[in-house]
Amino acid sequence: MERREALRLMGAVSVFSALSSDLFAATLRAQLAANQAGTLRTLSPAQNDIVVAMSDLMIPATGTPGAKAAKVNEFIDLILTEWATEEERKIFLEGLAEADRRTNALFSHGFAAATGKEQAAIVQGFDEELAASRNEKLPEQIRSWEVTLLHPFFAQMRRLTIVGYYTSPIGQEQELKVEIIPGALHGCVPAKPEVNQ
Amino acid sequence: MRTVKKPETYDAIIIGSGMTGGWAAKELTEKGLKVLVLEAGRPIEPDRDYVEHVPITEMKFRGMNDRRETLKDQPIQRTCYACDEWASKFFVKDTENPYTTDPDKPFAWIRGRQVGGKSILWARQSYRWSDLDFEANVREGMGADWPIRYADIEPWYNYVEEFAGITGQAEGLPQLPDGHFLPPMEMNCAEIVVKEAMARQFARERVMTIGRSAVLTQTHNGRAACHYCGPCHRGCITQSYFSSVNATLPVAEKTGRLTLRPYSVVPSLTFDQQTRRVTGVKVIDGQTHKVMEFHGRIIFLCASALESTRILLNSATPEFSTGLANSSGELGRNET
Repeated sequence: MERREALRLMGAVSVFSALSSDLFAATLRAQLAANQAGTLRTLSPAQNDIVVAMSDLMIPATGTPGAKAAKVNEFIDLILTEWATEEERKIFLEGLAEADRRTNALFSHGFAAATGKEQAAIVQGFDEELAASRNEKLPEQIRSWEVTLLHPFFAQMRRLTIVGYYTSPIGQEQELKVEIIPGALHGCVPAKPEVNQ
Repeated sequence: MRTVKKPETYDAIIIGSGMTGGWAAKELTEKGLKVLVLEAGRPIEPDRDYVEHVPITEMKFRGMNDRRETLKDQPIQRTCYACDEWASKFFVKDTENPYTTDPDKPFAWIRGRQVGGKSILWARQSYRWSDLDFEANVREGMGADWPIRYADIEPWYNYVEEFAGITGQAEGLPQLPDGHFLPPMEMNCAEIVVKEAMARQFARERVMTIGRSAVLTQTHNGRAACHYCGPCHRGCITQSYFSSVNATLPVAEKTGRLTLRPYSVVPSLTFDQQTRRVTGVKVIDGQTHKVMEFHGRIIFLCASALESTRILLNSATPEFSTGLANSSGELGRNET
């Protein structure tokens, strides 16, 4: 599956059910096989497992490596440790616990140990709740210029995953193929689906 | 650029090395004057200090900025979009430069204290005023008529723009006079669609034109064309946008008549009772805190609107107890 296709599916309501269970199983195996990062300062090993699994569910390996390979979890740990407020961090960590609770209630094990399909069901639940709350009045701060993580857990998780992935060496160099010095401006050229912009 | 230690006499002393200070330095040195530029902040070496090509992967917070540090040290500066993880070093630390305002009149004083001042950081958009602007207050019956019109200032627009290099599309609009533009930047596909739709709907009543900015779209006066890396406020190693560091100061330097003194904080000017002129500038060295004085035939205050005002207010003498150039009592008031 190509990255664009994965993103297109992410944008669809039925994103997670549309992905094959084989892919999720492979994702899970890879995740379990990998060592835990030894440098985490806020996330416990168990919390880290959830972050790794959930971020890689959102941006799986396709034609390019995914969130796990890009070490999005380490970026999230940095942000939680040195950037987030106590309140924001509490929302995030509570969200991870909630992910575990929901998975336990439905499938009798934690999120990280769940199958890809089970994880997808949980994440889809978070996503639908967030979508349903979209029209609620936001705190004043969120609508101003201030960059904040004072959002529901899943909004934090999704945002940090996207930022962490696309600002990583994998995201910048392999996925986006960012040119630091384009050299010329081409304001309006026909885009071809297979061309990286 | 040379630095000096001992008080010297210059033909002209310019306080501030930003946008206006750079222009003054260029014009005066080119006309043969020996010029001292005093800059309160540190020197800027483009090779060392510009960071526009540093990839986001190398930034600790990946462009999300060091939130805690800036909340602590730059709570005001960080409200400016350009005060990002790369360029926050070009903004002052608010903790070191405190000020107060009326509680109901907050003011975000965005400041750059370095050679180049805020000219490194400005947004580069460059538009000429027309008589619609020069006559606006008269038409609305407000205040006194401005003593200048577009015809008076047009040659100066030409003069400045010819050196700076302004990209844009000539449109022949009376309300937005054209300059002698460098080629315009291309619009993107969506912009083209909107422009064409507006032209169909409104003809000349509503015209959409590409931004006019002090960015080179072709080689100009020895400076290279823009290479579209994007974040101009982090510096420009190819000198493709206009700033004092990129354009005016190098020309002044080339004359051999420029002395640029960084770390030179100016508390006040010296008024000479005998000649009835400002003849000197007091300086406190920002690093050694040593107090010194420089003398010059002409003094240019180019320290920004508020800093220049402060220097005049701080230059009070027994005779001018409310500050220099303040016989009206209006100095520092009515600033908007």
